[in-house]
Amino acid sequence: MRKLLAVWIAKLAIIAGKVVGKKSSSTPGAIALKICPDLIRRLSSNVTQGIIVTCGTNGKTTTNNLLNSALQKSGYSTVCNSLGANMMGGIATAFADACNLAGKFQADWAVLEIDEASARRVFAYLTPDYMIITNLFRDQLDRYGEIDITMDLLREAINMAGNVKLILNGDDPLTAQFGEGKKAWYYGISEQVLPQIDETKEGRFCAKCGMEQEYHFFHYSQLGDYYCPHCGNRRPHIDFEAKNVNLSDSMKFTINGTPVDVNYRGFYNIYNILAVYSTLSVMGIPTDKFNQLLRDYKPQIGRMEQINLGKPFILNLAKNPAGFNQAIQTVMLDKRKKDVIVAINDLANDGRDVSWLWDVDFEKLSDENLCSLTAAGIRRYDMALRFKYEDIQNVRIASNMRDALLDCMNTNAEVCYVLVNYTALYPTQTAMLELQKEQKAGGNI
Amino acid sequence: MNENTVQIIHLYPDLLNLYGDKGNIACMVKRLNWRGIQTNVQLCTNQDHSIDLSSADIIFVGGGSDREQALVCSLLLKKKEELIRYVENDGVLVAVCGGYQLLGKYYQTASEKIEGLGLLDIYTDAGKDRLIGNVVLQSSLFDQPIAGFENHAGRTEIGDYTPLGKVLYGHGNNGTSGFEGVIYKNVIGTYLHGPLLPKNPKLCDYILSCALKRKDANFPGLKPIDDTLENQANTYIVNRFAPEKK
Repeated sequence: MRKLLAVWIAKLAIIAGKVVGKKSSSTPGAIALKICPDLIRRLSSNVTQGIIVTCGTNGKTTTNNLLNSALQKSGYSTVCNSLGANMMGGIATAFADACNLAGKFQADWAVLEIDEASARRVFAYLTPDYMIITNLFRDQLDRYGEIDITMDLLREAINMAGNVKLILNGDDPLTAQFGEGKKAWYYGISEQVLPQIDETKEGRFCAKCGMEQEYHFFHYSQLGDYYCPHCGNRRPHIDFEAKNVNLSDSMKFTINGTPVDVNYRGFYNIYNILAVYSTLSVMGIPTDKFNQLLRDYKPQIGRMEQINLGKPFILNLAKNPAGFNQAIQTVMLDKRKKDVIVAINDLANDGRDVSWLWDVDFEKLSDENLCSLTAAGIRRYDMALRFKYEDIQNVRIASNMRDALLDCMNTNAEVCYVLVNYTALYPTQTAMLELQKEQKAGGNI
Repeated sequence: MNENTVQIIHLYPDLLNLYGDKGNIACMVKRLNWRGIQTNVQLCTNQDHSIDLSSADIIFVGGGSDREQALVCSLLLKKKEELIRYVENDGVLVAVCGGYQLLGKYYQTASEKIEGLGLLDIYTDAGKDRLIGNVVLQSSLFDQPIAGFENHAGRTEIGDYTPLGKVLYGHGNNGTSGFEGVIYKNVIGTYLHGPLLPKNPKLCDYILSCALKRKDANFPGLKPIDDTLENQANTYIVNRFAPEKK
């Protein structure tokens, strides 16, 4: 009875949330868990085939949702927290949302992204059959503490999951080490693609012996073909490897010889696609229509999302140095004359600490194609000051996003990139869509 | 490079680099360069620590994870005598977070006692909870409040030493004393990162002035530069977290 009450209340809260326009929410689930603490256990037992979990600092939502869409296209029914609420409350919301009023649902698979630090809490109530770990980067130090702490929490979760099959990013020494002594498959990019620049590397010390490790080549942050000259620890055997990478037009590469050709932006998406392909293969699900699947997939908001405001405005979420460096690299691959807006907030979901801005390679933004650069968001002064230290002149400071967007609509640039962190994402998208609506209505903007 | 070039040595940036510390180095370099003063930054790393510390005008040491901090400490202990001579000879040393803890006698974590450099007679014990959040200080060195961010498990006891500032907002050295950081001769230790110096231009200039005066007793003082943006970033934090105490 408690379960049913919890489900109803969660469903009411979801409806209420939709009415007031909340897009992604852990609140309904969090309320339901107060009424019925083991709700996740009781509801997840409805899942007939198994539970797949995605963890990792960056790429969780894209990987999880792409996998969910792949399973649905293959004819399976699923439960998925596709909006990205990935702590206890968000997981409970996803299950409650799937229920009918009798508190039942039908699903072959649960496809869940779970916050690294929450995994051990969630795994007390459900045991995943497959677990993907995308990568581990420095992120929200004020919330997670040091990356060592995150790794301990994740290790604890994996141990709780017993016989779980692990699908791991083999290019990431921090992630790959979780596979030791477990049933694990690894994916990776097996050739040098990007210039070998020096950026902040999180895992520069060998996970085994603590000495400095080296690379045959690396992709970004600590991802690459690593080896430790001191103890012999090295990149594992790669079960699913990307090669023949070509980013010049669309994104082309092969996975174990199978060609992939898709109109995605961002080198890091190769990893997201690899993770999904690997997982489907390990699950024994055919991948013959993989390209079609990628083409049909509609990304979540703010994943290089293009909105036209007279010229293309491209909105991208980036929350930590690794994500930002990748976003900047993607921006700079675009040789059009461009405006760039960077919005940084420091609310609880962003992390209160913005010191990581100094670990992002913002100097790369400054080239001859940069038309204007705007700092926005709650911490716009910190952002503008950061730009000052890269000798970028004439940085604009905008106290609201609408003004920043309006200004950029009136420049000579051909494209505008809008890079935002977490809580700046939805308000920015809303402002963009409003401007688009006004423009279509012929408003005087 | 000439004799007026300010020599900055960054200790173990490969190991202690957790909280945007390169922003502190960049800030010192830029604020000197903007005034036409040359700088030379040298790194003392795990690969190459042959550097002669006595050649420094400013030494900086940042923060890292507990694991990396223990490694740095074992490396730095070999330079203990050299560092003591430098500090007693009025050398400028800025230590943030983990680096601050290393200045003292020891850092007692939950599992081990990490021996410090003992440059100052202070010590640190790990507390149960981490002290995390924005911080605003009032220092006696200048009027502008100091704004930063702290994230530390250690509780540092500074005894009779002068603190860097009085806590207007945040936790400070141990969460209870109401003070943050330490000043001894030309040494500044603090838990504040953010990084510390870019939005605290007065503090950065104080550090630079100490180094320049030590180089040249007749140093006339730093020329003023445009700090509009620096002050805006500082004022935003001060007004948000300690509005009434200014």
